[in-house]
Amino acid sequence: MSALRRIGCALLALALFAGCAGKQEISELAIVTGVGLDLTDDGEGVRVTAQIVRAADARGQTGAPAGGTGEPIYSVSAEGDTIFAAIRNLARISSRRVYWAHNFVIAMSEEYAREGISDMVDFFTRNHELRMETWVVVTPDRAEEFISTRTGIEILPGESVEKLFWYSDIVGEAPQTNMMNVEEMLLSDTTHPMIARAALRKAGISNKKPEKGASVNQAELSGAAVFKKDRMVGWLKPGEARAAVFFIQDVESLILPLACPGEEKHKATVELQEHRFNVKPALKNGEISFLVSMDADADLVEFGCDGPLESALPDIEKVLEKELRQGFESMLEVAQNDYQVDFLKLGDRVRNEYPVYWHRIERRWDSIFPDVEIEVDVHAEITSSVLKVRGGRK
Amino acid sequence: MTHQDQLLKSAYSDSLDENVKTLDALLDKSIDLIIRPLVLHKGKDIRARCYFTDGLVKALEIDTILTGLMAFTEDVFKEREELTGKELMERLLLNFSVRITHEIGEGITAILSGDTLLLVDGIGAGLIVGTRGWDMRSVSEPATETVVRGPRDGFTENIRTNTGIMRRRIRDPNLRIEGMQIGTRSKTDVNIAYIKDIAKEELVEEVRSRLKSIKIDAVLESGYIEELIEDSPKSIFVTIQSTERPDKVAAAILEGRVAVFVDNTPFVLVMPTYFWEYVQAADDYYSRYWVGSFFRQIRYFCFLLSLTLTPIYVMLVSFHHEMIPTELALTIASGRAVVPFPVLLEALMMEIAFELMREAGLRMPKPIGQAVSIVGSLIIGQAAVQAGLVSPFMVIVVAVTGIASFAIPNYPASFSIRLVRFPLIIAAGFFGLLGFAVFLFGFMIHALSLRSFGEPYLAPAAPFRPRDQKDLLARMPWWSYEKRPSMAQDRRRQPSGTKPKPPRPEPPQPT
Repeated sequence: MSALRRIGCALLALALFAGCAGKQEISELAIVTGVGLDLTDDGEGVRVTAQIVRAADARGQTGAPAGGTGEPIYSVSAEGDTIFAAIRNLARISSRRVYWAHNFVIAMSEEYAREGISDMVDFFTRNHELRMETWVVVTPDRAEEFISTRTGIEILPGESVEKLFWYSDIVGEAPQTNMMNVEEMLLSDTTHPMIARAALRKAGISNKKPEKGASVNQAELSGAAVFKKDRMVGWLKPGEARAAVFFIQDVESLILPLACPGEEKHKATVELQEHRFNVKPALKNGEISFLVSMDADADLVEFGCDGPLESALPDIEKVLEKELRQGFESMLEVAQNDYQVDFLKLGDRVRNEYPVYWHRIERRWDSIFPDVEIEVDVHAEITSSVLKVRGGRK
Repeated sequence: MTHQDQLLKSAYSDSLDENVKTLDALLDKSIDLIIRPLVLHKGKDIRARCYFTDGLVKALEIDTILTGLMAFTEDVFKEREELTGKELMERLLLNFSVRITHEIGEGITAILSGDTLLLVDGIGAGLIVGTRGWDMRSVSEPATETVVRGPRDGFTENIRTNTGIMRRRIRDPNLRIEGMQIGTRSKTDVNIAYIKDIAKEELVEEVRSRLKSIKIDAVLESGYIEELIEDSPKSIFVTIQSTERPDKVAAAILEGRVAVFVDNTPFVLVMPTYFWEYVQAADDYYSRYWVGSFFRQIRYFCFLLSLTLTPIYVMLVSFHHEMIPTELALTIASGRAVVPFPVLLEALMMEIAFELMREAGLRMPKPIGQAVSIVGSLIIGQAAVQAGLVSPFMVIVVAVTGIASFAIPNYPASFSIRLVRFPLIIAAGFFGLLGFAVFLFGFMIHALSLRSFGEPYLAPAAPFRPRDQKDLLARMPWWSYEKRPSMAQDRRRQPSGTKPKPPRPEPPQPT
């Protein structure tokens, strides 16, 4: 037998016996675009709801007759003692292989989150199919319902949540928490997780019955869930979440309506353009303290106040400073007093700056944190007031 | 040695009758063989015979032979008693090409090549008169390599015309055209062209010796020669370039390469060849260098596309769904929802259908060929998708692949790329990324190991030759080409500093 023939036989054998191992046609997959995690009714097990795309319907006719039902998604749920058991039970119902790599979002109900999320993080990071960019949200609704509601402009609910996250930095009211961030925060010794809150809200107006007003559910991204270790302890309100976001990620811009100086009724709006946000720990006499400073440049984008612009500007700057400072302060108040957990990565900053000191207090950080002194210093300047000098109001 | 071989090797005898007998034995009777007996001098009884092949000769030249011999022989003999072959040639034959031969075989080859063999009684030699003049195609635009800007002449089937075209382009005394005949039966003329002081002597000698070592009965096209002298006969890659374009050959000769002309084919071989030349078009050098460089990049891209697009698509769709962006994955999945075949089969089906149409369109007579492509595209593009046999995505992928493969200017090279694609598709369909990578790397390693007449096939990229880079990815301006590629012996092409400049304005004269 010549060498060539031997190689040929080996290749043929490979192709015939092992060849298509792992092969799976894309059209044979049940592509999951969203997962919801609820507790079962008895509170013992997990109920996993998967939002599966019916590709032919989600993409419409592409030349070939698709034979669809018109519904772009197919939601299915199954229960089990653990997430994996539930997913295995899912396979009993699904006629195709459940495929996770295109999952957009993992939604957990509040009850589930309060029971602890480490199982969830563990399962979804161990699963090799899952991308670490999957968004993670906590919802006050039933996750089941949240996942399977068709919302908004996008055809797939999962996609609409994904895009909410993309553009969430305009509002800045929720942290951009994906699997990677959540895992990082959960595994960190210094920080407790904070996960974005997403809820269903009647916001959309039905085309067929517009007279009924907002009646269609939409996914809304605002606020955050605060965790202690892996258990959820409470919510942050949108305003508080906005201030907290500055601590854990880059904020691009922010729009703030401000009361006009001297008159509460009218408002001027500024857009934060550039800002330098800085948290500096200081160690004095064995006591740690923080200086949170922010230097912001803002644009005046809406001026509804009476009176001339020039004289109002310095006052608006002051109002802006006050507003920002109060935002930070009230958020810190909530963190230190209400929840008493450091979800702001302040511990990280101590560790980086004073590693020796950190080593000493590492174990006691959770008890030290509520009493740490945090000073907030905000300096704001309106750099562009746009060409129009007069206000819109006479 | 057979009797016939002995006869062919034998010398001419002094007696015409003897010679006629030998020739009759060798040539026997063919309807196109014309034997014209003459009597040159009645009194001295000098007889002669012309042998030539009808259809290969120019009648005018035969007339000239006859006129010269019949009209003036007697005058010449008034002065002299006897004539040698040389004197006959110098005094009586008015044709422009005459030579004397002593070997029977040589005379016969001459007759069969379109020349005329003149035998005269009493002269123990044959006179070969150049009378070639068969009907041939005129110089026309090359069919396989068209350019927008550039010369429109292409090689023809006549080797002399072709070498003439080459001389027209390079009027250098050092341009050498050497001749030989290959093929024991066909005796095809094969010429080697090179410039003596540019081409390396070893290279020319190598070409010469490889050509000489060919033992084949007939050479009907340069493809025969190509296969018999290439470095890696088992490789799928073409290591000798064949082209119909005289400008390409001239450029190659000027770079120190050797061209091999073969009679009866418009395809001239150029050696050695680098792989990248298949992606370079003649236009590159005639249009502005920005444009030339840009379209060269496009061709590189097309080369990659035509090689890898279908395998990558097959690989992604059947193994690596996570690598496709979600939206695209959904679109693909929706298109494939009704297709009953696995992607691999679908891809092979479409690729084969495409090759089928291309081949059928090529083989059909021209007026019908168009119908094939129209019907084919209708069936594949529309009906097959509607019937749910193939997904619209696959049609796009295969179409792009096919179009990309047409953008490669050299036909043999584009064929080998298309051939490589099939194992790649199968590997990708069976083993996913692993198979695709292993096969691709296998081909790359193989290509790296190739040599073309001693030159590394992938040079100047691998081995990396910094000096030769100017003509690889981009086409640098002509004034920057100061040196020839490193395969040349004499590397200086032009003096440096030939970049054109506007004239320096005269400094204003003080008035």
